[in-house]
Amino acid sequence: MRMKYVLTEVMVGLWRNVTMTIAMIITMAVSLFMLGGSGLLYQKVSDMKDLYYENIQVSVFLKTDVKPEQRTELETKLKGDSLVKTVDYVNKDEAYKRFQQMYQDAPDLVNAVKPDQLPESFRLTLVDPEQYKQIYSQYKDVAGVDEIVDQSKLLDKVFGVLGGIQTFALAISIVMAMAALLLVANTIQVAAYSKRREVAVMKLVGASNWFIQAPFVLEAVVAGLIGSLFGLVALIALKTLGGGGSLSALEGLISPISWGDIFLVFPLMAGVGAVVSAITAWVTLRFYLRV
Amino acid sequence: MTKTYPKASRPSLDNVSVSIEKGEFVFFIGPSGSGKSTIIKMLLHEVSPNKGRVVVNGKDVTTMRSWKRPHFRRSIGCVFQDFRLLPNRTAYENVAFALEVIGKTKAVARRVVPEVLELVGLGGKEHRYPHELSGGEQQRVAVARAFVNRPLILLADEPTGNLDPDTSIEIMRLLDRINRTGTTVVMVTHDSNIVNQMRRRVVEIESGRIVRDQARGVYG
Repeated sequence: MRMKYVLTEVMVGLWRNVTMTIAMIITMAVSLFMLGGSGLLYQKVSDMKDLYYENIQVSVFLKTDVKPEQRTELETKLKGDSLVKTVDYVNKDEAYKRFQQMYQDAPDLVNAVKPDQLPESFRLTLVDPEQYKQIYSQYKDVAGVDEIVDQSKLLDKVFGVLGGIQTFALAISIVMAMAALLLVANTIQVAAYSKRREVAVMKLVGASNWFIQAPFVLEAVVAGLIGSLFGLVALIALKTLGGGGSLSALEGLISPISWGDIFLVFPLMAGVGAVVSAITAWVTLRFYLRV
Repeated sequence: MTKTYPKASRPSLDNVSVSIEKGEFVFFIGPSGSGKSTIIKMLLHEVSPNKGRVVVNGKDVTTMRSWKRPHFRRSIGCVFQDFRLLPNRTAYENVAFALEVIGKTKAVARRVVPEVLELVGLGGKEHRYPHELSGGEQQRVAVARAFVNRPLILLADEPTGNLDPDTSIEIMRLLDRINRTGTTVVMVTHDSNIVNQMRRRVVEIESGRIVRDQARGVYG
């Protein structure tokens, strides 16, 4: 009977102040959506870092007029270097193929470039990608070497942008969470006010504190959970609708977000939504009801 | 004990010491602001004295942790001048509510509530709402709610303050009947008529001090 009483009170409470409930759910949903998005991005970025930094390459481009013996000498030297894990030689044809592939969306550019114009190169993977500087200073003046490029520099930029987006989403999530928090506090105050007579009687006859507080706290928790569900729906919508649009531009760079990822991030959203609501409601009650 | 409220120029209760035996019927009388109501609040553990101790049912309320308060309150029934009934519940529901929120089942309520409503003289009016009852009847519902849990003590803070003299006497008869079941009754009032008729112990308070403590007293 007590459970039934509490649940009825929760439902009545949510209906009594339905506009406020909706406002609470919407802010909660946006906040948790942003939180979920930020969580997904964080997860993706760390996945990608593992993946890319594993295969990170340093390209040693050769001069177009490089002599075959210079090339062989360099190759032996690189292969003997303890900092270098693998050495991969890319000749002009190979380079042209890669170039074609990379710029397949820009046929004009591809047509304008002849295989001859592209430099040969050695692609190195390093034992420790951080030691790029040593490789650079060691080989930049070797005969036949034109330029040494570290791809991790490029990646750092990409990750910088992604990290920025993630921080932005997190910041919005926090701002919205504060708005949601205030709404929860307000809703609970209104609810407590409209039930002040009942609460006074309950305190008088010795109802336990948890019994007085439970309907209010659960009211906030239910709103938080509904909010997190809407947040989940928004994430799903973003994946289904956004997948074909602007997000596809990033495909190939970002490993695609799977359904599994989304459903993994949901418990985080639901948990944060429920716990934050519960704590806010409880703290509000402590000030407002003094129970 | 002594109680000084913050911002008050003088103590609300100044070095007051009073002992009430089990089963007694005591009136606290005195003008408004004399500190009568503070005594009720202390017995309920709503306020604590600055100095001294309050012992209720053998428990030191002064040192009681606030989380123990709910359970402590179950041994005390309360009646107020303004009845404090829930307007959207019937007489029966008002009394049953007090039972249900302390964890009693509906079955218990179905057995006990009609009994206590009968005791306070409201048999047949169980399903009326407070606004359908007279002031005296509303106060009977409040008494029924206070008594349904068979408390050791019944506190009544000006229970006749809103009632006409005849109705007041009926309520007093009811409190007297409850007192005869062994329940200690502590009543705060300034209704001289009632005090004079009942001839019970009277403790008079003025400006926070006890000026009289008389068995079988009158309002004076």
